[in-house]
Amino acid sequence: MDELGKIHQLIVPLFGHNMTFNIGAIFMSWIVMIGLLIFGFLAARKRGIIPRPLQIVGELLVSQLFGIAEDALDEELSKKYAPMICALFMFLVLSNWIGIIPHMHEPTKDLNTPLSLGLMGFVIAHYAGIRAKGFKAYISGYFEPMFFMMPLNVIGELAKVVSISFRLFGNIMGGSIIIMVVSYLTYSLALPPLLNLFFGLFVGTIQAFVFTMLTVVYISVQVK
Amino acid sequence: MTDDIQYWIKVAQYTGASVSMGLGAIGAAIGEGHTAATANMAISRNPERGGEIFKNMLVGQAVAESAAIFSLVIAMVLLFSGEPLMKPITIWAFLGAGLCMGFGAIGSGIGAGYPGASACEGMARQPEAGRRLTTAMLIGSAVSQTTSIYALVIALILIFFDFSNMPFAPTWAALLGAGLSTGIAAFGPAIGEGLVAAACCEGIARNPSSATEVTNIMLLGQAVTETTGIYGLLVSFILLFKSFVPTDALAPAFALLSAGICMGLGAIGPGIGEGFTAKSTVSWIARNSSSRAELVRTMLVGQAVSESTGIYSFVIALILIFVI
Repeated sequence: MDELGKIHQLIVPLFGHNMTFNIGAIFMSWIVMIGLLIFGFLAARKRGIIPRPLQIVGELLVSQLFGIAEDALDEELSKKYAPMICALFMFLVLSNWIGIIPHMHEPTKDLNTPLSLGLMGFVIAHYAGIRAKGFKAYISGYFEPMFFMMPLNVIGELAKVVSISFRLFGNIMGGSIIIMVVSYLTYSLALPPLLNLFFGLFVGTIQAFVFTMLTVVYISVQVK
Repeated sequence: MTDDIQYWIKVAQYTGASVSMGLGAIGAAIGEGHTAATANMAISRNPERGGEIFKNMLVGQAVAESAAIFSLVIAMVLLFSGEPLMKPITIWAFLGAGLCMGFGAIGSGIGAGYPGASACEGMARQPEAGRRLTTAMLIGSAVSQTTSIYALVIALILIFFDFSNMPFAPTWAALLGAGLSTGIAAFGPAIGEGLVAAACCEGIARNPSSATEVTNIMLLGQAVTETTGIYGLLVSFILLFKSFVPTDALAPAFALLSAGICMGLGAIGPGIGEGFTAKSTVSWIARNSSSRAELVRTMLVGQAVSESTGIYSFVIALILIFVI
């Protein structure tokens, strides 16, 4: 049980400040990225009219996610943002799934990963909003419906980043805690794999989808 | 003396963990039960779509479960975060964290169950809208969890932030008040937002072509419904990070505790009430989208009026913190 909340850190002193790196999370997200690159390479290699299994998986993923982006944004914008949305979803799914392999940890279990992805979505959404509406209309959006609602609107926007990233973090962290506690208590062969199935694969997929959908929705709210 | 503090910290850990998990288990179970009950009804109406409805029910329940998972995280962290050197203030921080997450999870569990139920029913009535319904359900129930995520954030701050350099009295009351403010305030807005999301799923099932429009109105309605939850979060942040004058008198400490309770309780009613308003607006826009402008205007004005009681609580909480 001592593993709970234990983080391997690398602390690098730099100009009087200590820069802290969470080695585990960084390492695992690199593994996820390499896995995605290999998947992309294998799926896109030898493309043909008669697709091979990996190509079908890739095509399904891309076409479904493009469809979701088109539902929320319009045609032109969705062409621009859908590749980012595909990448986000695939990264999150693989990140949440990788915990089911022994001795691997989900990079999303570390708050820094969801928080940075949430900040990325926030910046992209506001950039898209400014591009689509113009700076003046963007600013005046904060003074609606009344001018004194401005502080609340700003807090509401910032709270979106907090809520989207803590939702993912809390779910993945909670799942891994439950798996750890049950494995510690039971030593059984049947229960922990089932829990891995539920929290790793099922909840992981749903939360990755929710995160991606909310990023799309935040972009579409800013644009419209 | 040190042993005494360790003893009370243990007491706070156990009490906090049990309150967090015990209260947190209420909402998610009710919400999931509601979803499953409606899924049963939907399957019996349209048995050919049984598999699809069943899958949707599972997804909806998994999202509603998140609230209980957050409570579990806080309970486990509380149980196992024993450090050798802890100050008396930690007792109150731990108690506040448990109360915050426990109360905070009730509303979002119930609220996130509504859209799941409504999406299952919609699938039975309008099988064509299947994928859109699942998407709208996920967005709606994810947004209705926002206030419980605020509670998670405040609970984590209470557990991991070092408050020991602040004066013990009245900070102990401020920490407890901070937990209660966000925790109880999370109740109303979460249920209200869940009602709005349910109306959105129902509207999409009734009129699938208006899906994008209805989803946008849902998000607008939910954003306004959440305002009182954000007041609760604000009061918590003020209580956590304002520096107070050290005093041994009980009255100033209880002013801070009361500020948290006042804001927390005051946010319940407006959250649910504004949810009713937005729910009806969303469901009528799906039926009659030509009068969208009038409906949205009426919704915003109605919500503003129904929010006034929450603003009264907010004002009283601020007076309790800053004036008294």
